[in-house]
Amino acid sequence: MDLNIIVCVKSVVVDAPEGRVVRSTESCELNPFDRPVLEVALHLGEVCGGAVTAISMGPEASALALTETMAMGVGRGILISDPALAGSDTLATATALAAAIKKLAPFDLVLFGTRTADSDTGQVGPQTAVLLNLPLVTWAHSIEPVTSGLHIERRADGFQEKFELSFPAVLTVHPGSVQPRDVGLHGIELAFAESKVESWSLKKLGLSPEQVGEQGSPTRVLSLKRIKKERKCEFLPGSAEEQAAELVRRFVDTGMVV
Amino acid sequence: MDVFLSEKNRAVRRSVRTFCKRELMPIAKDIDQEARFPWEVVEKMGKLGYFGVQIPKKLGGAGMDAMSFIIVIEEISRVCAGLGLCLSVHYGVGVYPLMAFGSEEQKKKWVPPLARGEKIGAFCLSEPNAGTDAGGIEATAIRDGEHYIINANKVFVTNGGVADFCLIFARTNPEAGRKGISVLVAERGTPGFVVGDLEDLCGMRANPVSSIRLYDCRVPVENLIGKEGMGLQIGLRALDTGRMGIAAQALGIAQAAFEEAVRYAKERHQFGVAIAKHQAVQMMIADMATQIDAARLMVYRAALLSHQGKPFSQASAMAKLFASETACKVTDMAVQIHGGYGYSKSYPVERYYRDARVTRIYEGTSEIQRIVISRGVLGM
Repeated sequence: MDLNIIVCVKSVVVDAPEGRVVRSTESCELNPFDRPVLEVALHLGEVCGGAVTAISMGPEASALALTETMAMGVGRGILISDPALAGSDTLATATALAAAIKKLAPFDLVLFGTRTADSDTGQVGPQTAVLLNLPLVTWAHSIEPVTSGLHIERRADGFQEKFELSFPAVLTVHPGSVQPRDVGLHGIELAFAESKVESWSLKKLGLSPEQVGEQGSPTRVLSLKRIKKERKCEFLPGSAEEQAAELVRRFVDTGMVV
Repeated sequence: MDVFLSEKNRAVRRSVRTFCKRELMPIAKDIDQEARFPWEVVEKMGKLGYFGVQIPKKLGGAGMDAMSFIIVIEEISRVCAGLGLCLSVHYGVGVYPLMAFGSEEQKKKWVPPLARGEKIGAFCLSEPNAGTDAGGIEATAIRDGEHYIINANKVFVTNGGVADFCLIFARTNPEAGRKGISVLVAERGTPGFVVGDLEDLCGMRANPVSSIRLYDCRVPVENLIGKEGMGLQIGLRALDTGRMGIAAQALGIAQAAFEEAVRYAKERHQFGVAIAKHQAVQMMIADMATQIDAARLMVYRAALLSHQGKPFSQASAMAKLFASETACKVTDMAVQIHGGYGYSKSYPVERYYRDARVTRIYEGTSEIQRIVISRGVLGM
């Protein structure tokens, strides 16, 4: 059962020197929540056979994140990059990704992380699934290939759900589902020396500039500022038992303990 | 500082850092206290290519540049200096001489398992009466037909307790003085090859430093590296690469101590404010940051020169001298910032303080580095 697996990844901002966000190879890296997803994809590829392709959307500097996926073992990396994509919100991003994924048909599985380290909306995976008109399971915790497709275990809100899914399908993968493999030096050398990330423009995707970028985005970010977290220390009076009881009461009141 | 690094170098740093955080950081304190070589982690390091960073791909290595080698040593040493030492010695003075002076047959025979970390290399020069004065060694390797018979008492052998592949410096011609010294490979398991007791060291305790003694140990003539009499030439060339590795190791230790000191200075309150608010502490933090930055520039310059195939002996000696002395100063200040807690095993800075000290001693003392540097400057 050869599987054609597509993994959508993001190059996230990890450093903003002097408070300015400049997307460069120094300030960005592969979203850490995407690494377990890549592990799932590579493992399925090893077990079932087939190919794993990684796609990302972003400026040219995002190609480095794709090179890192190739260092992990991904066979093909595609960067959707076009000046008209600047300012895309999650829906415009999903529009571009869905167009690229259609170009890669036939495929069996499209995988996303559940979130990103730099904006954390969790929307792109589900939105892309809707645009592709494909079944979706979010927060997949374990994925087992079976004859008819996949058995998926999903964990959320203290429950465990099991799904049977036929191909093609979309999953968002829980970051705790697997431990991503270490990237060895041989893989890094191979990815940088011999692998080349493909660059796809809007024209290649068959999209017009109005469908993406700021024009194609129904939402706007009006402002962005860091939230200052304030912590205060309070000593609880009384005996150890009284202190413990008071602490539990406060946890219950704040909803931290049910 | 990142301006010196390629995207590939940065990818190497990210991957090694991730590995260290998960695999080494949780055990670093314990393996120091237990003086234990963590085979379970070393095997993983071998599979990831850390033992063969610069070894060509066709011989099983990753085929990377000197900067990547430096980054791997720096990052591993930032978490566990004893393992950083293991890697530095393994390649810098263990495998590198074989790559530079060995025959193609010798490389094919020995390098692939060394590149994969399945075998570990060691450099056996120091003896009870010879260290800095390398020309004073007493070990002998006397030709007997198609073999050499080696008798040697080598001390302070880094990786000694686990090394399979040892470069032995011995006199093949006892009458020829410094020109009578040669380098031969002796493999663990050869009759007469004896590993002595492990040293109970102040720092670098995860590294099994031991003596290695050879009693009438017969090795085939094919185990001679280069030609007879080339021993000191090979040794000095190897030390250029080795010193770069030790400089990177010292840098990693200094960086770790600095990070701990900064964290602690922000957390610890005295006189109603974090001690980072006190100017006395700020002065130390500034000195630490500046010295580490300067050391890193020097280490990276040596690596760049080496990669470009330019002479780097002088740069390597300067980097080793400055980085090792920086490591000692920085770890000392880190302990000072921690106060009494810095002298306790509850905090890691006391380990960094112990680990840093030997970087001024091995692979050429600070004093011998100054001699190398002054000879270069004065042309003498």
